[in-house]
Amino acid sequence: MSGSGARESPFPTRMALTNTKIRLKGAQTGHSLLAKKRDALTTRFRAILRKVDEAKRKMGRVMQLASFSLAEVTYATGDISYLVQEQAKNATLKVKARQDNVSGVVLPVFEVDRTTGSDFNLTGLGRGGQQVLKSKEVYAKAAETLVELASLQTAFMILDEVIRVTNRRVNAIEHVIIPKLENTVKYILSELDEMDREEFFRLKKVQGKKKRDAEAAAALLAGKATTEEAPVETVAEDDEGEGGGDLLSSRDEDVIF
Amino acid sequence: MEALFFNASTGFLEGIVRGYKTGILTQSQYTNLTQCETLEDFRMQLSSTDYGNFLANEPLPLSTSTIADKATQVLVDQFNYLRSNAVEPLSKFLEYMTYGYMIDNVVLLITGTLHERDTHELLERCHPLGVFDTMPALCVATNVEELYRSVLVETPLAPYFRDCISASDLDDLNIEIIRNTVYKAYLEDFYAFCSSVGGPTSQVMHSILSFEADRRTINITINSLNTDLAKEQRAKLFPAIGRLYPAGNNALAKADDVDTVRQVCEYVPEYRSFLDASSNTQNGDSYGGDGSAAAALEDKFFAEEVRLNKNAFLQQFQYGVFYSYVKLKEQEIRSITWIAECIAQNAKDRIHDYIPIF
Amino acid sequence: MASAYRNRNLLAVIGDEDSVTGLLLAGIGQINEHQKKNFLIVDSKTQVSSIESAFQEFTERSDIAILLINQHVAEKIRPTVDRYQQTFPALLEIPSKDHPYDPSKDSILKRVQKLYGD
Repeated sequence: MSGSGARESPFPTRMALTNTKIRLKGAQTGHSLLAKKRDALTTRFRAILRKVDEAKRKMGRVMQLASFSLAEVTYATGDISYLVQEQAKNATLKVKARQDNVSGVVLPVFEVDRTTGSDFNLTGLGRGGQQVLKSKEVYAKAAETLVELASLQTAFMILDEVIRVTNRRVNAIEHVIIPKLENTVKYILSELDEMDREEFFRLKKVQGKKKRDAEAAAALLAGKATTEEAPVETVAEDDEGEGGGDLLSSRDEDVIF
Repeated sequence: MEALFFNASTGFLEGIVRGYKTGILTQSQYTNLTQCETLEDFRMQLSSTDYGNFLANEPLPLSTSTIADKATQVLVDQFNYLRSNAVEPLSKFLEYMTYGYMIDNVVLLITGTLHERDTHELLERCHPLGVFDTMPALCVATNVEELYRSVLVETPLAPYFRDCISASDLDDLNIEIIRNTVYKAYLEDFYAFCSSVGGPTSQVMHSILSFEADRRTINITINSLNTDLAKEQRAKLFPAIGRLYPAGNNALAKADDVDTVRQVCEYVPEYRSFLDASSNTQNGDSYGGDGSAAAALEDKFFAEEVRLNKNAFLQQFQYGVFYSYVKLKEQEIRSITWIAECIAQNAKDRIHDYIPIF
Repeated sequence: MASAYRNRNLLAVIGDEDSVTGLLLAGIGQINEHQKKNFLIVDSKTQVSSIESAFQEFTERSDIAILLINQHVAEKIRPTVDRYQQTFPALLEIPSKDHPYDPSKDSILKRVQKLYGD
């Protein structure tokens, strides 16, 4: 019954019922839409999850390769780290953010934006320059992998958050709003039914009374019709007053006789 | 003639060096090292060689740089022992050997000063062989002008710097160009010094230094292809010695691609193979092949250097052995570090890329 | 939201010398007009507090899109890293030469694994 769950308490009218029903319909549509969104996001999320996992493992290998190429540099050139640190001035490897849209969620995608600088071109000029160059390339590749991973990871974080919000909404609609509206509808319906029944009863009562009156009138008429006048008179007298009728009838008899 | 008096002054030290030489790791020792699974094992294996317990006091886990540092320290100790027992002109010769490292150190300090860093912490990073007494004095300089003057006053490198660059050059010239300009001057000077010593020393050292000069020339050429280094400037960095000089150097100065370099290398029989093999690998892919070819070139340079330095031991009564020993030892340290690196990074497929000496 | 990462175009790195050197070679290094670097080299002598402050600084800077940190360095300031929830800059734990990558320690991957476990 309407008392079993949370419900709104509008004035139970047909208008309110229509409104509530419209809202319930809206909530259901919303729910199915959100559920679809959630499914879409979750699919994407799973895909990203798998990619993140893969990319993280791949990163391990790539970075190992990269640090190995640095070892080659050290082998050929000696320690260049300080020189490199000091020569760093302007980043030639930057990232550019692009947007990607998954079911209405904006995901940033980072892309490597590499301008060819001549920063370390001459490092290892005397010897090992080729190794430095190679290492530079390997590390740039590694950085690309890292950037790729970073966008995956960011997407992962954002999607995670969005999915959580969507889930919350879906659940809220499913478990709170829809039951509440349904309860309200039930409540209004039951109230309306109650009112219907009351109305019906009242009408019945009126009708009953009317019927009884009508029957009485009909019986009078019928009586008059069969006894030519007397029943009609009695009915007429009945209508005017009972006590009077008796006096008159007795008087009439007295008058006639 | 020199042979007659050589032993009087240098015989002892030559004996020492030849003794040190036998301590250089052999092929079988390298084989043992390459079979190590961890750096722990590696240390165990090394302790049975001439290196002894040089890593005994290092805390675990070992890092490859520690190994390299400690191994270098062993070499430095040996070198300092030689140096403290040397008399003229050997002491002068040994001093010349350190200049190469000094150049690196001074350049490092210049870099630090240019970027207004505290140069004191840089002293730790300097190569121990290139440390000279007045080096800390260079750290006092806070700007380039001051540094330039103190370089001229305080370091043995003064003549090289004076002849090649002025104080204003230090500012805008690329640090690598400075390094190579100074190094060129140093090589030429060392070459001249060896000539003045004469006899077998000059013979042996000339072949080694010529190779060193040629190696630099070829390297600079290859490395400056496709960079913004102007050709005239490139030509200035080439040492005016070596077997490629002067015709090869001129050709290299104008070189635009690796092919020209290869043609130049054709002039010298020993260098012919350097770029030959790389041409085979280069056909396949454009960039990756190029990189590995160059890496192979570097390896060949190292191998040739080792060969020349080993030859230096074939002659007696000359100073070349000292130079060669240090160079061989350096190569050995590089090889050890390489192997350690391969073990640490689990890259066993490249572990045999070291250059064995004996 | 859109502008939150529009201006972020730098990578920052906290790591050991080799990792930093390599990434600098690749060209990520940037020193701005205040002589602020976007990289920090951590060696055995580096204080945990200075790692922490660099971490704070990098995460608060508005021009950094991705912060790379060596896993063994992250390990030193693990509580701070675990607490880090911002989307930008994206925090990425990378392996270093001496410390191969251990997926089980990664804050993000821990979450991934947890979600997989569901």
